Amino acid sequence: MSKLLSLPVVAIAVLIVVLNAAYIIDQAEQGIIVQFGEPIGDVVSEPGLHWKLPFVQEVRRFDRRLLAWDGDVSQIPTLGREFIVVDTTARYRIADPLQFLRSVRDEAGARTRLDDIVDSVARDIVSGTELEEIVRSADWSVDVAEIVEEEGITLDESALERPQKGRGQLEREMLTAASRLMPGLGIELVDVRIKRINYIDTVRTQVESRMIAERQSIAERFRSEGQGRSQEILGDMEKELRRIRSEAERQAQQIIGKADAEATRIYGEAYGKDAEFYKFFKTLESYDALGENSTLMIEADSDFFRYLESTRRR
Amino acid sequence: MVRGKDWLEKALIGKGWHERATGRASAGGNGGSPPGPPRRSRFDASPRHLGVGVALIVVLWGLFSCVYTVQPEERAVIKRLGRVVGIADPGLHFRLPFGIDTVQFVATERVLKQEFGFRTERGEDEEGRSRYAQGDYTSESLMLTGDLNIIVAEWVVQYRIADPIKFLYAMREPTRTLRDLSESVMRRVVGNRIGSDVLTVGRVEISNTARDEIQEAMDKYDNGIHIITVELQDVVPPPRVQPAFNEVNEARQQRERMINEANKQANQAIPRAEGEANRLVSEAEGYATERVNRALGEADRFNSVLVEYRGAPEVTRSRMYLESLRRTLPRVGTVLMVQDGQVPPLPLLNLRDAQPRRPARQPEEGQQ
Repeated sequence: MSKLLSLPVVAIAVLIVVLNAAYIIDQAEQGIIVQFGEPIGDVVSEPGLHWKLPFVQEVRRFDRRLLAWDGDVSQIPTLGREFIVVDTTARYRIADPLQFLRSVRDEAGARTRLDDIVDSVARDIVSGTELEEIVRSADWSVDVAEIVEEEGITLDESALERPQKGRGQLEREMLTAASRLMPGLGIELVDVRIKRINYIDTVRTQVESRMIAERQSIAERFRSEGQGRSQEILGDMEKELRRIRSEAERQAQQIIGKADAEATRIYGEAYGKDAEFYKFFKTLESYDALGENSTLMIEADSDFFRYLESTRRR
Repeated sequence: MVRGKDWLEKALIGKGWHERATGRASAGGNGGSPPGPPRRSRFDASPRHLGVGVALIVVLWGLFSCVYTVQPEERAVIKRLGRVVGIADPGLHFRLPFGIDTVQFVATERVLKQEFGFRTERGEDEEGRSRYAQGDYTSESLMLTGDLNIIVAEWVVQYRIADPIKFLYAMREPTRTLRDLSESVMRRVVGNRIGSDVLTVGRVEISNTARDEIQEAMDKYDNGIHIITVELQDVVPPPRVQPAFNEVNEARQQRERMINEANKQANQAIPRAEGEANRLVSEAEGYATERVNRALGEADRFNSVLVEYRGAPEVTRSRMYLESLRRTLPRVGTVLMVQDGQVPPLPLLNLRDAQPRRPARQPEEGQQ
């Protein structure tokens, strides 16, 4: 009976020991065996079932994947004294779990250290840089002339020039500067990025006012441009009208002139045959043209009167 | 599966439940048979029933946990003792029970979406449109343009989990990283252009550039996310500046209107003037034709008369003169005779009005 009873007891005891000695490292994890607080052996990075001494050793697990870090939003003055709000984000990986365990213990510890380091690096770099440099990137390709053309605002050429470093370069600088301190923490920093940049509220109001003024000047320009173009078109129209009219006038006069000349030639040719008869002929024609109630003066010795007298005598 | 059953049996044997369970199974057929019941005490029956119950539960649990279904839009990542061993396609699958095999489902076929600057809420409003959350997300959408102006841009990132293993095991928070990166990239792209460009013509290019850059970052992290598209939604100036932007638009319209009106006026006047010009020319041509024709006619007439005249000059001359007078005199009001050395006709002119018709007849009578 005692033999029968002890069998399950022993089995359970063995099971407990075995279960305590076995541990599973997940695909996402890496582990370190710690014996009485002292790390033993290498990092266990192979996922699967592993064994350790039961009870005396314990496993500390660390994530093996890329981890995200999001910085505090901090107010930083740029080199140009504009106060901006910068929000950075970074990705890191626990590259050396042993070192990580010794220096920061866990992720919460790591996070506070990252806060300190990355924020201060970001602060250093932003405060030593003009705002344009942070906003624009190295592949900046804005054509100033085109904008002046389009918007019609006189711009300071330098206000839109290509940044010397640009955002990408600044981010790389942040990464380099922050990475320098990382080996001591067992962390590998993969990237540091500026997530957000904005003006602080008071500056924002000013910038908005500037934008409003800028827009209004553009609107004003559009209006006067409209008036200008309109006048130009009307002027062109006037020019065109005068051209059309004068050309027509010229053409008409030319035609008339030619016809007159032609007529003159014809008359000349015909009447030239007998100038004396022509005068007579024309005189008679002009008598025909006399109007009603006109007064005809006839000299007493003219042919007409002579004929009149001769008829009376008859 | 086989290995799983062995393991199960060993566990049962180890705990001494197996024999009891099989004993129960053999006696189970005649649970209510006469030999048993009178001898059974409470002490005897309780552990046996308990054992059987536990064994049944364990067996059922084992059986149920061996089976899982993968939905059509999903893939399942199978981990055996923490190590990834494979991916299961949609359908019914078996696995090792008791947490030896664990399965994680990842919706790889579904198009997932992240919204920036706004949130669509589940459900629709009464007119069937999407509902948008009322919250303030301007911190996401407010950004700086290259000319250091402020702009509010809302956008959507659509993505798909292309590689479930990478998605689960390359990063701890891949979707959060996607969010952070999207914000970062969008601000970079918008910051690399001037405001008016972002508001008008640059939209498509911004979307494309942002998509490519976010994908590039995801590839660098190797987190199995495939970006399908980045769509810019509302891109507007900050609320306070909006009226000024509208003013510009109005002014632009106004400019167009003024130009159009001037053009209209010109378009009215010029064709008309052209018509008038053509008329002038045509009239001149008409005059010219008339003039030349008349000249030709008159010349012909003169020539004809001249020919006749030359035949008998004196007679013709007199005849023409008299004929002409005959035609003329009836219409002439007053005929004055003037003789050299006599009183000039001036005083007589006043009398003409006093006796208008009378003198007109005098020459007619004279003719006869």
